Amino acid sequence: MPVQVHVTSVIRNAVGGNREVSADGESVRAVLENIEVQYPGFRATVMDEAGELHRFVNIYLNDEDIRYLGGAETALKDGDQVSILPALAGG
Amino acid sequence: MPRIPRALVDEMLAHAREDMPNEACGVVHAKDGEAIAVIRVPNVSGDDGKGSPYRYLMDPKTQYELEVRRDDSGESLFAIYHSHVASEARPSPTDERQAFFPPGEFDRMPAYPGTLYILVSLRDAAPLDIRAWRVEQRLPGAERPVVTEEPIEIV
Repeated sequence: MPVQVHVTSVIRNAVGGNREVSADGESVRAVLENIEVQYPGFRATVMDEAGELHRFVNIYLNDEDIRYLGGAETALKDGDQVSILPALAGG
Repeated sequence: MPRIPRALVDEMLAHAREDMPNEACGVVHAKDGEAIAVIRVPNVSGDDGKGSPYRYLMDPKTQYELEVRRDDSGESLFAIYHSHVASEARPSPTDERQAFFPPGEFDRMPAYPGTLYILVSLRDAAPLDIRAWRVEQRLPGAERPVVTEEPIEIV
């Protein structure tokens, strides 16, 4: 089940410089794992070794922050649009 | 030398002042290389989702909407700005860490390559201090990233 994943800023370097990648998966986590298969090394930019999403990564599913949906386990359907952004933060 | 219209500088200074005692944050958009807009973004770094005098975290929803706006309009991210309430207008160690993604990965390219970091200091009441910086990946053997002040021309 393909979904379009919109990738911003420096995270594009982890997906061959692409703004958009097509990936398969029934959940956000499955899609991220599928991108890892296409672009080895991608996973480490968004998840830690335990598979938890980094605190400073924001993932959107069709304009909704997945933190307020089901996190990495959020279910996807055909044609969904996923966006991945690094947080803008500092001190 | 980056050029920034006086009205945009004034807007960043006003935002910094209004959000006291917390840090203010936002972005500057450019079109065809010219800075055209200052956009305030809520600082949600506090435990209650409100602001903080010590940190900033741009509201993710607003940040996402601005990303969509840039894609649709052809605008680009000219600068990321924030205020320092009690310290000078230069990137703090936390700012340096957060300029990379994942944070602190100083050997990677910066999170927003080519984007200026503008700092407003409220430390001394007047005049307000505003300075711009570039944060780039560290050199071999170095501990910290390369942080360079970029003089700005206010037009």
